[in-house]
Amino acid sequence: MTLLHRRLTKSDLNDLVSGALADPVQLTDVHRASLSTRFRAVSVPGHRRLDAWSVERAGRSGNAFRWSPGTARRVLGNASLRRMATQPASVRDAVRDELGDQMLRAASGYSRSGSLSHWLASAPHPVIGLVTAEAVNWATQLQEIAEWLEASWAVPASDAYYDVASARTTLRARRDLVVHNDETRTVVRVRSGSPGKSAGPGLRADLTIEALADHDGLAPVRYIGLWPEAGVCLSVDGTMSDLRSGARDLVRTAVAQRRRGALLAA
Amino acid sequence: MTTMLDSSPISVVEALRGDRSTRPLIDIASAGGLRSLLEDGIFEIIGAERLETPLVVRTSSLQQHFATTDLAMSTPGRIRGVLIGQLLRLLSVGMSIDHAFDDAVAAWRGEVGTNELITQLDTLDDDDRARLATDLEAHCVTLTRALGEIPARWMPRSCVRATQRLAGGSVVLRDVVDLMIGTSTSEVASIALFDVTTSPLGEGAERSMRYHALMQTLRTSVMPLRTCTFSSATGEIWIRDVDYELLARSVDDVLTSVRDQRSVR
Repeated sequence: MTLLHRRLTKSDLNDLVSGALADPVQLTDVHRASLSTRFRAVSVPGHRRLDAWSVERAGRSGNAFRWSPGTARRVLGNASLRRMATQPASVRDAVRDELGDQMLRAASGYSRSGSLSHWLASAPHPVIGLVTAEAVNWATQLQEIAEWLEASWAVPASDAYYDVASARTTLRARRDLVVHNDETRTVVRVRSGSPGKSAGPGLRADLTIEALADHDGLAPVRYIGLWPEAGVCLSVDGTMSDLRSGARDLVRTAVAQRRRGALLAA
Repeated sequence: MTTMLDSSPISVVEALRGDRSTRPLIDIASAGGLRSLLEDGIFEIIGAERLETPLVVRTSSLQQHFATTDLAMSTPGRIRGVLIGQLLRLLSVGMSIDHAFDDAVAAWRGEVGTNELITQLDTLDDDDRARLATDLEAHCVTLTRALGEIPARWMPRSCVRATQRLAGGSVVLRDVVDLMIGTSTSEVASIALFDVTTSPLGEGAERSMRYHALMQTLRTSVMPLRTCTFSSATGEIWIRDVDYELLARSVDDVLTSVRDQRSVR
């Protein structure tokens, strides 16, 4: 495994980006079919969603999701930074515009129940203020990190999703910045708190899902996880052995989830 | 520099930013040395042993070395502190505050849902609740007058958290800065840290200011420009330029706290 640990500084981040592999590894249909077979062997009654967080928690489910200023900040913050790339504005104005668009979506009936737009439309004025503050925090932090980068970057329109064929399983990889270097790409993911012992397997899971979600199966040459609160970053390289380990961790998580589900049912 | 609200014609934010032409170049060299000082000092206290439960240092750990009654740590005092923090967050993004108490409580509930302190707020009788609301209104007026409008170009962020694991995780430093302005991408030092307290300023506030600056330096490896503490009770504000000496004193504060915690285990 190619896990690197560095302090989160401008020079260290650029070294991680520029020091990545030169040639990306490619996943083929054989790899996809093999993964699908393994997931089908671990069937569950409903639809299964797996991501790096579930890998890090070994399949244990956390508290039920609810929208809050803290859970809304990444969606709004990333969208605001993306907006700023096309319409120069202050972070605060970009966040306000994004919030306005979200609420307009709800007002015009285009949002479904449980969505961010729906929640924002019914949130009281002070909560909207706090959502703005959280999103401004997130976008400002991401903007600072992006400005450090010497290569060209972009904020992706969404996370990477991959539906495993015939296995009722959706995989999701978090990604906040994609750095392009000639034919290759490096993905940057930002998390709050500080990295735990299972942060490495979490990054490998994201790496594998990102490669699977790519139309041509091309893996990013490096996946970098940033923990700005702790001031550290970790990275894994897009090698075949890391991709295989990521896939194994995802399947193991599915097994652990099923075991836990069976125990609860008993 | 110490400023009283009534004697200050300029806003706190302007005072913190100061004159751009006199700002020093960013210092990215000191963080490593400070980290070494901390690691060496902690090694002298706890040795090579890996503690199962880490010693945690926060600003509250640095406040008092002896037992005193601190009204700010009473339940209404803690609730008031949280609520003024929520109001600062709303002010930092230019939100208008209509009813300080109601707005702060609504924002707090929206953020955390429910917790022990909110439950205690809900159990206050009408008199206590009205007293707290009036008190908070007064603090909010003082804060709003001092803060003025915070321009978006100064990139204000509120409630900025920092965590540092030292000695292989045996010591964990935690911190939350109420408001941070400026950027670490500039070539001159520009980060200013603002902390608000609902108590009058004392020796503990000085330690907190230093600690915020130390944590920010360790987290970003960039030394901030200034650190300040504002009392919404008195309108008093303490502003300090950050230099290596101030940060080294904070290292001593942290080591003293680690030593105290270690001795009672």
